[in-house]
Amino acid sequence: MIEARELCKNFKDKKRGVVKAVDHVSFSCKAGEVYGLLGPNGAGKTTTLRILSTALKPTSGTAIINGTDVTVDSQKVRSQIGFLSGNTGLYGRLTAREMVAYFGNLYGMEKQTIRRRTDELFDLLDMKNFADSRNEKLSSGMKQKVSIVRSVLHDPPVMVFDEPTSGLDVMSSRTIVDFIKRCRDMGKCVIFSTHIMSEAMRLCDRVAIIHNGRIYSEGTVDSLLQSTGQNNLEDAFIKIVGE
Amino acid sequence: MQFRNIGTIFRKELKDTIRDRRTMLFAFLMPIISMPLLMMVIFKVQMAAFQKIEGARSEIVIQNVSQLPQELRDSLMTDTTFQVKTEADFAGKILMDELKQKAFQALVIVPDNFAKAIEMESPTDIEIYYDRAEEMSAVAYSKLRDVMSQYRDRIIKSRVVKRQISEDVLKPFEVQGNSVASAKKLAGKTLGGIIPYFLILTCFLGAMSPAIDLGAGEKERGTIETLMVAPATRGEFVLGKYFVIVLTSVMAGLMSLASMTAFFKYMAGDPAMKQMAELLAIQFDVQTVFLILAVVIPIAGIFAAILLSLSIFAKSAKEAQGYVGFLNIFLVLPAFVSMVPGVELNYQMALIPVVNVSLIIKNAIAGTIEWNYVITAFVSLFALAALALYFAKRWFEREEVLFRM
Repeated sequence: MIEARELCKNFKDKKRGVVKAVDHVSFSCKAGEVYGLLGPNGAGKTTTLRILSTALKPTSGTAIINGTDVTVDSQKVRSQIGFLSGNTGLYGRLTAREMVAYFGNLYGMEKQTIRRRTDELFDLLDMKNFADSRNEKLSSGMKQKVSIVRSVLHDPPVMVFDEPTSGLDVMSSRTIVDFIKRCRDMGKCVIFSTHIMSEAMRLCDRVAIIHNGRIYSEGTVDSLLQSTGQNNLEDAFIKIVGE
Repeated sequence: MQFRNIGTIFRKELKDTIRDRRTMLFAFLMPIISMPLLMMVIFKVQMAAFQKIEGARSEIVIQNVSQLPQELRDSLMTDTTFQVKTEADFAGKILMDELKQKAFQALVIVPDNFAKAIEMESPTDIEIYYDRAEEMSAVAYSKLRDVMSQYRDRIIKSRVVKRQISEDVLKPFEVQGNSVASAKKLAGKTLGGIIPYFLILTCFLGAMSPAIDLGAGEKERGTIETLMVAPATRGEFVLGKYFVIVLTSVMAGLMSLASMTAFFKYMAGDPAMKQMAELLAIQFDVQTVFLILAVVIPIAGIFAAILLSLSIFAKSAKEAQGYVGFLNIFLVLPAFVSMVPGVELNYQMALIPVVNVSLIIKNAIAGTIEWNYVITAFVSLFALAALALYFAKRWFEREEVLFRM
């Protein structure tokens, strides 16, 4: 479903010169699997996910998403992906329903399909009572639900979550975590990034330890713990990165 | 490039913009209400100041008043707009200093034997001192001059009559000036300078607020990333947003034009403005409105493309506002040319954006349209608008612009 091949991304920085934000990153993730990118801030997680979702073009290397090359047909790749991040914003002056419909239209969905999917998902996430309120009036938990519906409305086979729980309270985080599990159970291919080790332990089938733009180690959580002889992911991470 | 996507984006952004109170305030309410209000205040203040100066009594001092001929003395003394004093009223003071210190407004120095000289028909001078930098003093001087020249005319007449020559000898011919300008042209040349400036300014204001919201606003709300991974091209986003900005810009311009016209009509009905009523009666026929629209649309297009490009570059609405405020000077100031007397449309002027729009609107209102320049300006404006839009699109495709956060 997702296959990253030798992805590289360089940025030019005035002070530091050329920065290798992503440095020969390769991995793959199957349908029905949750793959975690684990690393500190600035490790290259967000850049990697932005390349996968075609917001950024790789300097070299490529990725195949559900059979389509991100460097060849970015439009097709975008329609295969649902994207959600912790600081995803909403249009305050639109209602939840309008916001979701806007993206449904952009994803080329028919009017009736948008309505049916919206009703289904609003029911599922218990959002009926604020579906027609303006987004600026919603609580952060409600906003997060609107974002979830937006990301999954077009029923994409691949879900990309970029630090989805950062900055959220316990309840909202819980909603997201449950949603990720549901995506996996529905057979979607899920990739998500986090710097919270406990979250990775709970959710991920496999994780990649990423630091300074490179993948240091990859495997199931158990195999990483075994190979480092540690009993929690945090210690394993430190050992692998070697700092 | 799909029209369906552009339409979707356009409709969403338009709805979003209409619901934005700040944009509505800046783009529509302010130009409609504030411009006429501002002009009204200026008009009223000026009228009031004018009336105050005209109606006020001028205090003058006549030195050596006994030497004035009786007739001239009487006409000065009986004139209620003068309050006449003599040097005796300022005993022990230096009159010239008193004048400088505004103790009175003008000083008339009558030479010795002035009355006699006139009687003897020998040339003589009379001196008036005043402060040209003081309006009241200048008014006193001009009133004094009027009284004196009238008196002089009477003397000339009496001297001619005394010699038994017909008065007609003094008037070989009269010059009669007749203006052939229509009221429309007259109004256009006077008020025609103000209207283009306000119109271009409101077009800019109308584009400014939505441009900031639709560009930098996406970054501020954290929605830009979601947009970039949605399956519409960057070009489609640019166009959808661009057309909303052009629309609000043109609408703002037209609404301010309507409000200015209504305001001038109202002012023309004011009895205090009687003499100016003819100048204020601006008539917009279909051709004028079409011509104005034809230049306003491309200039709105240029504003929209530049503002959107700057806005998407900015990290926040605040930063965008900073750029826009700076830009305001360069984009709107050239519109002032329509108020500069003597600046006429020519091929060079017709090529300069903003300047050409300003001058064409001015001419359109006056009804003096020169098509060769209008067409030159059209070509220049549309080419520039297309260029600006092309650059905006290329700009939107740059990662370092979109993800500059």
